[in-house]
Amino acid sequence: MTGNMRRYAWLYVMILPILIYLALFVYYPLVQGVISSFQETKLLGATHWVGTANYETAINTKQFWQVVRNTLLIGGGIIVLGFFPPILVALALNELISLVFKKIAQTTVYIPHLFSWVVIAGMWMYILAPNGGIVNETIKALGGQPISFFTSIPWSRFLMIALPIWRDMGYYAIIYLAAITAINPSLYEAARVDGASRFQQTWQITLPLLKPTMMVVFMLNTLGMLRIFDQIFIMRNAVTKRYVDVLMTYVYDLGITQHKIGLASAISVMVLGATLVMTAIVWTVTGFGKEE
Amino acid sequence: MSQSQDTTHAHKTLSDRVYQIVVIVFLLVAMSLMIIPFWNVVSVAFSSALGSMQSGIILWPREFTVDGFRIIWKNLGLERAFMNSLIVTVFGTIAHVLLACLAGYVLIQKDLPGRRLIVGIILATMAIPGELIIIPLFVVYKNLGLLDSLFALVLSGMVSGFSILLMRNFFSGVPFDLAESARIDGASDIRIFASIYMPLAKAGIATIALFEMVGRWNMFLPVILYINDSRKYTLQVVLRSLVTENQGNSGTSMITPNVQMAGILIAVLPLLLFYPVMQRYFVKGISLGAVKE
Repeated sequence: MTGNMRRYAWLYVMILPILIYLALFVYYPLVQGVISSFQETKLLGATHWVGTANYETAINTKQFWQVVRNTLLIGGGIIVLGFFPPILVALALNELISLVFKKIAQTTVYIPHLFSWVVIAGMWMYILAPNGGIVNETIKALGGQPISFFTSIPWSRFLMIALPIWRDMGYYAIIYLAAITAINPSLYEAARVDGASRFQQTWQITLPLLKPTMMVVFMLNTLGMLRIFDQIFIMRNAVTKRYVDVLMTYVYDLGITQHKIGLASAISVMVLGATLVMTAIVWTVTGFGKEE
Repeated sequence: MSQSQDTTHAHKTLSDRVYQIVVIVFLLVAMSLMIIPFWNVVSVAFSSALGSMQSGIILWPREFTVDGFRIIWKNLGLERAFMNSLIVTVFGTIAHVLLACLAGYVLIQKDLPGRRLIVGIILATMAIPGELIIIPLFVVYKNLGLLDSLFALVLSGMVSGFSILLMRNFFSGVPFDLAESARIDGASDIRIFASIYMPLAKAGIATIALFEMVGRWNMFLPVILYINDSRKYTLQVVLRSLVTENQGNSGTSMITPNVQMAGILIAVLPLLLFYPVMQRYFVKGISLGAVKE
């Protein structure tokens, strides 16, 4: 018995750093954030209770609804426009006869997922530059007018959707490919005996069996929507800011740049509420997080 | 896999050949979306300042030179930023992996009182996106005197429920008898952990280490949040000011396109060198952790 106690003590010591870390850097800030959302902080750090005033200020601010709209537009755009490309890539990779080419193609499309948003922004700002960029030089060569992509409101919004899709296409393709590989080969065997063409096999066997994976990817993107930060913060500018700012960049600007801690916290708490509801749905649907 | 093997038997028919060609063409288009921008970056990076500023598409270095790399590395201070990133990546990854392994080991001890509670505490943090608590987190770091230190960046994201669960799953694959017989021989838990579990979970360790390394190398938000002192800036933050805030190519500026693209290449080079060697762990990690992001 005492031997066991000794053993347990050691095990607790092993997990202690983690519990301290989570208490200090997750749970305490979380509680503090909720408290701050009901307070107003003066410059010298003095606080006083203001009830739900911060929440009221937030939902009565036009800009708040503008960033909610931007978040839904950009996040929704990523979900909708980014849905089919990775599936098509995964299906194509699976159809390849040459395994060498398959490996090269898979690696190539995955690599942008390793790039930081600074790298992606720098790369595409150069490629889409009005002067010297590949795209505009091509437009000019074809007799068109160059487009200033990053300062045009519709184009910059489009890029905030298109570039994440470009970056993550190979990543999601690998997830789909793993799911395709797991499909029982005898299903295709049976379909072939019945005279089904390759296309019919894909349409009637592969795609329906990918539905659970599609759900997972859809949920990941839906949850990811509320966390979008780096790409906007790095690629926005004075002209486009109003039209591309999302919830997290708004919270950063309010809390860190303008020191409106109460207001920023109130918005964070609302986003957190939305995240928790969505996470609960995700965990229920995907069966993730079940303990034994 | 299975499907492609089946096709080898039947690929002689015309329609199958056409189908195969359509698939290859589609993939080549998808690949060119990745390769052309990257090749453009490489070509400009190795061009001269003047060459990189002339109009026209650059798909081969103009007046080949490594000036761009020299200028951004030495004159524009990317060297220090690179080293800062390296420090944060190396120490941050080691600490992250070690803590995840320790926790993963403790969580497979089924008889440990309070284990379920600990699992709950860790699991619950996975539902809280770190971005949502940046304001109070900033205050915590400030009160602990951690601002403007690389240690703050090592500390940021040091514990992740995802990594802990992954390690726990790897460890639970280790036969329990191994640990039991070592325990009968009088080995302590630390010893069993270090000499039995760690060596047997190399694949798991490699997987979380790789994801952590890439994440830390690319880390952005914590750096702008906690670091004000420009000597402590990491590669991504310095690179950002060089590639996105100086788009005007005035003749007097040192920051010409060849310099900017050289900076981008420096930022991705460690990842590109690493990736082919470690690809199988990445693929494994992605399929294991589809629920992470």
